[in-house]
Amino acid sequence: MIDLASLTINQIRFSLLKKEFTATDLAKAYLARIKQIDPKIKAFITITETEALLQAQAIDDKITKGQKLGNLAGSCMAVKDIYLTKDIQTTAGSQLLKDYIPQYSSTIYQRLLNQDAIILGKTNTDTFAFGASTENSGFFTTKNPWNTAMVPGGSSGGSAAAQIGDLCTFALGTDTGGSIRQPASLCGVTGLKPTYGRNSRYGITAMASSFDAPGAFASNCQDLATVLSQTAGFDPFDATSSQIEVPNYANLLNKVSLKGLKIGLPKQYFEGVEPDVKARTEESIKIFEKQGAQIIPISLPNTNLGIDVYYVLVPCEISANMARYDGLRFGQSVKDSDNLVDLYFKTRGKFMEPELKRRILIGTYFLSSGYYDAYYLQASKVRTLIKQEFQQEFKKVDLMLAPVSPTTAWPIGQKVNDPLQMYLADVLTVPINVAGLPALSLPCGLDSKGLPVGLQLIGNYFTEDKLLSVGHQFQQITDFHLKKPKL
Amino acid sequence: MKITPIIGLEVHVELNTTQKMFCSCSASHFHVAPNTHTCPVCLALPGALPVPNKTACLSCIKIGLALNCSITKTAIFERKNYFYPDLPKGYQITQLQTPFAVNGHIKIDGHTIRINRAHMEEDTGKSQHQPLDGQNVTLIDYNRSGVPLVEIVSEPDIDSSTLAKNYITQIQQIVRYLGVSDADIEKGSMRCEPTINLKIEKDGKIYHTPLVEIKNVASLTGAQNAIDYEIKRQSEEFNKTGQVKNSTNKTTRGFSADKGITFLQRLKEGSADYRYFPEPDIPPIAFSKSEIDQLKNTLPELPDQKTTRYQKDYDLSDYDSTRLCSDFSFTQSFEKVMGQSTDKDFAKFVANIFLGSLSAYLNESGQEIDSGKINPDYFSSVFTAQTDNKISFTVAKDILLQSYQTGQDPLKIAQDGGLMQVSDTGKLEDMVDKVLQDNPNAKADYQRNSNIIGFLVGQVMKLSAGSANPQLVRLILEKKLK
Repeated sequence: MIDLASLTINQIRFSLLKKEFTATDLAKAYLARIKQIDPKIKAFITITETEALLQAQAIDDKITKGQKLGNLAGSCMAVKDIYLTKDIQTTAGSQLLKDYIPQYSSTIYQRLLNQDAIILGKTNTDTFAFGASTENSGFFTTKNPWNTAMVPGGSSGGSAAAQIGDLCTFALGTDTGGSIRQPASLCGVTGLKPTYGRNSRYGITAMASSFDAPGAFASNCQDLATVLSQTAGFDPFDATSSQIEVPNYANLLNKVSLKGLKIGLPKQYFEGVEPDVKARTEESIKIFEKQGAQIIPISLPNTNLGIDVYYVLVPCEISANMARYDGLRFGQSVKDSDNLVDLYFKTRGKFMEPELKRRILIGTYFLSSGYYDAYYLQASKVRTLIKQEFQQEFKKVDLMLAPVSPTTAWPIGQKVNDPLQMYLADVLTVPINVAGLPALSLPCGLDSKGLPVGLQLIGNYFTEDKLLSVGHQFQQITDFHLKKPKL
Repeated sequence: MKITPIIGLEVHVELNTTQKMFCSCSASHFHVAPNTHTCPVCLALPGALPVPNKTACLSCIKIGLALNCSITKTAIFERKNYFYPDLPKGYQITQLQTPFAVNGHIKIDGHTIRINRAHMEEDTGKSQHQPLDGQNVTLIDYNRSGVPLVEIVSEPDIDSSTLAKNYITQIQQIVRYLGVSDADIEKGSMRCEPTINLKIEKDGKIYHTPLVEIKNVASLTGAQNAIDYEIKRQSEEFNKTGQVKNSTNKTTRGFSADKGITFLQRLKEGSADYRYFPEPDIPPIAFSKSEIDQLKNTLPELPDQKTTRYQKDYDLSDYDSTRLCSDFSFTQSFEKVMGQSTDKDFAKFVANIFLGSLSAYLNESGQEIDSGKINPDYFSSVFTAQTDNKISFTVAKDILLQSYQTGQDPLKIAQDGGLMQVSDTGKLEDMVDKVLQDNPNAKADYQRNSNIIGFLVGQVMKLSAGSANPQLVRLILEKKLK
């Protein structure tokens, strides 16, 4: 019996080589656990048993033949269902794409397959990643493994829940306004939103093109470093992907010394957060301080504008990005239309989830003639201000530390009829996307209700190596990331 | 009442890059099996992203430079949002605020026409409305989806249909000289949309008629006819209604080439809202000054420069050189014939053939010159034969044309047709005698007016089917008429 809870990516590869278990054994163990646990938490939209076993067999064959194994050999991944996976249904969490089988795969997923990672399934998400709880999914709501009456966070809630439930070795998500960090925080797993452009967006359904940052969840920083070393890097299919060289992050985990590390605490990020969240974050600050880090109070006064900028620019981009879903060329179509326009209207009317329609309407309004200058243009200017403000403060500190989410997980249904309240769940993560910076979400304990609390480390552009190194050293001296819910 | 047409032109040029604008699919779509040149990007499948084609961007900048435009330091692409089945993304990637090239001009027939911009965009797919299995259906071919287009927008500096036609021809020639497009209007690789209204001066007051944009112009003549029709229509409309231009009454009219009329397509153009915003999938594009300078230095010779050079190198007249250079394919064939030669007489001879019999034939048959059918050796052998008085210029013209049509050796055509110049005085005297017999009053007429000899030379030439040596004929005639 393989102990799935304690596995890491490197251990799996090592165990395969030492023939402690086969890739097929491991895939079967994960699939068995998914069958047992997933009905309780509903992390997966699609379970890819056939593909998983075929891929596992291929890896085992390589081992038998003594062929070289990929860097992630045998590691089993859960993939957010907005990543296109060739020949595997990709719904983007929307009824609009139910039964859609892509003809090609997203770059990141393909790069991981190339390293002999195995796909276990496609995880639940708010429709097209529009949401913070998975309640906007066109299929079902994923439940928080710590308390199934609670949301797992979102939009990558399925991936975060699968990760903490030991239903995968690592999981893929995307972070447009907090969609990796916030569910990581609410589920108690480690998650990284890389710098905008570090990971290719090609083959991932677009939410807001200038914000979307694909990334991963794992049980610790070391695994995240291993995954990022493979996924990151220039992609000729994504003009916004960076040409900056990709280091081997896993070799740099002890690069940064906590002693003398200058950690900035942006005071605005501590306002209005729940007492338990604040307390856990401050306890973590103490831990860093004890290791010799220098804690420096800083101020980011434009932080509060982040959410305004975000909810203007993001719907604008969404309104255009959603135009290709005409209901004609892929996904579901209504059968009873009178003509082309009727088909468009009925299909989009029937299969688009309410949040999707809401954002298209908002974005269309903001871009309309006569409103563009007041909204889109103004928000773009404030976006530049926010970027500049971060750059200014990064002259004083190596990285910044803040809570991820003002609250821990909330009850399913609580905010579902109050979209504005739901939007505010992202208030501490959104400014980082507005600026395009990298940020790491680390578990830092539980609240009084036994729900996980997360802290985020925010770095300057392309300093993932530094964030992962600091996060890794924090995890060497704490055990928050090892805590698991009883399932 | 004085009427001045105010015409601006939008000219779309399809670039001849091997790949599409935002993906690596082949950009060729003319007579290609439908939907065979497609990929996730140009089909706008979920998750697909555009990556700009650098060659296409540079071609756009070259066009800008050739039109004397300023090149924008940092250009950006924008999304133009509208819903149409042949536009798979639901938006077109184009340039609005900061195109690659702005503020240029070109000179035509002594007029300066200002160029507002030359910007880069992508073409749409092609909708085909047709019956299929007894039903009327629309089929869409996405081969053209994402093919690079450059849109050249003029200021409304054109005041006649002729100038409009010459402007379009000039743009066509410039892009052909640059080698960035075949700019064939009939094949759709060049499209033009005139926008036109009239300035009317009446009773000391000035009026402007409502703006009209004309679509579906499919030929040069079409453009000219559409504009002429519209000038007439707008002036009649003004006389009837007195309606003048305002911010909401711009309309779009289609052009029917068969009927030679324009017809209303869309009212209130002003109300279309394309919700432009910067394309977030493509970072701003900046070329350094040195890159632009280098591009400028490597631009090929353009029509004006070539015209000047022809006058200087070959001593051709302004008229001949301008006519030759107004067609890039002509200059290619001309230069093929000239090779390294700078013989001015030869150049004059070749230009006369090109602009005479050859261009008459091509115009009549509606063909473009095919430089593959031009054999430089034939031209030089015919030229030598003419200089040596072995053939007349009339024959030279005819046999070179026949040689172009058939590929045969022109001198063989002359020999077989008995067209070699006759300098045999015996034969010539026989012919002169025949002509004098037919014109019994010739001698008397000649005594009164010696100019009559020209007519008689002509008669002999006609009799000889152009093969007689005209100088010798004249000498013989002069002798016989004394």
